[in-house]
Amino acid sequence: MTTPDDKDHETQARRQALDTAPISLLETIRTQGRVWGDLAAQYGVSNPEPPWKINLDATCDVLGAGSCALPVLERRWEEDELSAELYADVPFPERQLLALAHSMIRRGLVNEDELTRRMAQVDARLKLV
Amino acid sequence: MSDNHKPAPMVDEISDFEVLEIAVRELAIEKGLFSADDHRRWTEYVHSVGPLPAGRLVAKAWLDPEFKKLAVTDGVKASLEVGVDWINSPPTKFGTPSDYCNLRVLEDTPRLKHVVVCTLCSCYPRPILGQSPEWYRTPNYRRRLVRWPRQVLSEFGLQLPEDMEIRVADSNQKTRYIVLPVRPAGTEGWSEDQLAEIVTRDCLIGVAVPKPGRKADDKRHVHPAVHPVHHDH
Amino acid sequence: MSKVQHDRTHHAKKATGIGDPQCFKGEAGPAKFKIGDRVRIKDLPDLFYTRCQVYTRGAVGVVAAVVYESPAAEDEAWDNTDKSEWFYSVKFRQHELWSDYPAVYANDTLETEFSERWLEKA
Repeated sequence: MTTPDDKDHETQARRQALDTAPISLLETIRTQGRVWGDLAAQYGVSNPEPPWKINLDATCDVLGAGSCALPVLERRWEEDELSAELYADVPFPERQLLALAHSMIRRGLVNEDELTRRMAQVDARLKLV
Repeated sequence: MSDNHKPAPMVDEISDFEVLEIAVRELAIEKGLFSADDHRRWTEYVHSVGPLPAGRLVAKAWLDPEFKKLAVTDGVKASLEVGVDWINSPPTKFGTPSDYCNLRVLEDTPRLKHVVVCTLCSCYPRPILGQSPEWYRTPNYRRRLVRWPRQVLSEFGLQLPEDMEIRVADSNQKTRYIVLPVRPAGTEGWSEDQLAEIVTRDCLIGVAVPKPGRKADDKRHVHPAVHPVHHDH
Repeated sequence: MSKVQHDRTHHAKKATGIGDPQCFKGEAGPAKFKIGDRVRIKDLPDLFYTRCQVYTRGAVGVVAAVVYESPAAEDEAWDNTDKSEWFYSVKFRQHELWSDYPAVYANDTLETEFSERWLEKA
């Protein structure tokens, strides 16, 4: 016979493994990035999800397949934890994206500096006229 | 008619989130975590899945008792008849990393209502039902549905008789579930197409029941929030 | 850096075109329990990784279906896939899981799966 609080043991065990301290790059995006809901309202677009959501879902899938660089269950657990603690005020799926980037940085799959540089390159490329 | 020639509105602005998504994907490809081609194939696959085949499966089962028997005994085999190959459709050819190839179709009766959850993370029968809705992924739904199913169902607008058995199916191992609801009154003589239209995603998860006249693509009135939330970023 | 490496590619060849868990069919030997058996969920310590939910530990239910053969999640997490077990779908009365579940809803149940190692005769 158990109570629902017993389930927190699981959460506790996981918490030890994930560093939920804020990551500077992701904090900047969290506070300054414009979320899809706002953009869609401003531009009168009715699509409830941003066009990049499907790419994000595929990235999550493919990281859990093949090389299994980031197993699906762990990513989901970390996303739950980060959603509750660090990215609680960010809507979905922006929150899923921040959590994925957070998990990847903490695992050393990418590092913050190279991600910052790559974002600058991508941004410049997308804005090229 | 001139309205038809107006281009649909577009978001003419590049957000940091869009840039982050691309940057993460490109770095992962460069580092060999996956190939660009793997990603493209998965994107195509994710794009191809949705709730329509599961709705079709239910409609077929309502009309054909033999097919219903197959559906409740071998969900994977029954899925083939609605165009879903659990084993060979995903790019892995043995199921997706989170969706194993065992589908159970849970048959409701007038005395028994099934509802599906995954308390472990958010396992979902994606090959036949598409991407899970956001609420299905939340700890709120996952934690509370097993503990207070009636409370959660009533939040979805589903109030069920006291003596009806509510059976929660928790998919935390390799089986994935969809619900085969009771065919509602008022659908006598309907075609498979008509029936399939009223079997919406929520009916297949079990948090709603099909109703004649209630279709997935119905326009819903959206009431403006009384106290709207403003993002200051 | 990473903890559980639940790598499913090691058996990709085995599962390709057959499916997972279908590819483990016939590996577990005779099933210890059958439909209708009353079983108790063992309260084993979590050594590392498990999919056996805490809320079911110690509870008594009835085997509703013998579902498939597969290595247990605890073994698969370590790539130990050479020993398959039977999996069972077990149905519980909600009151058995939550002692304060409202008596007026006495018919309510919950069904979920376990590998054989988690079950004992009740």
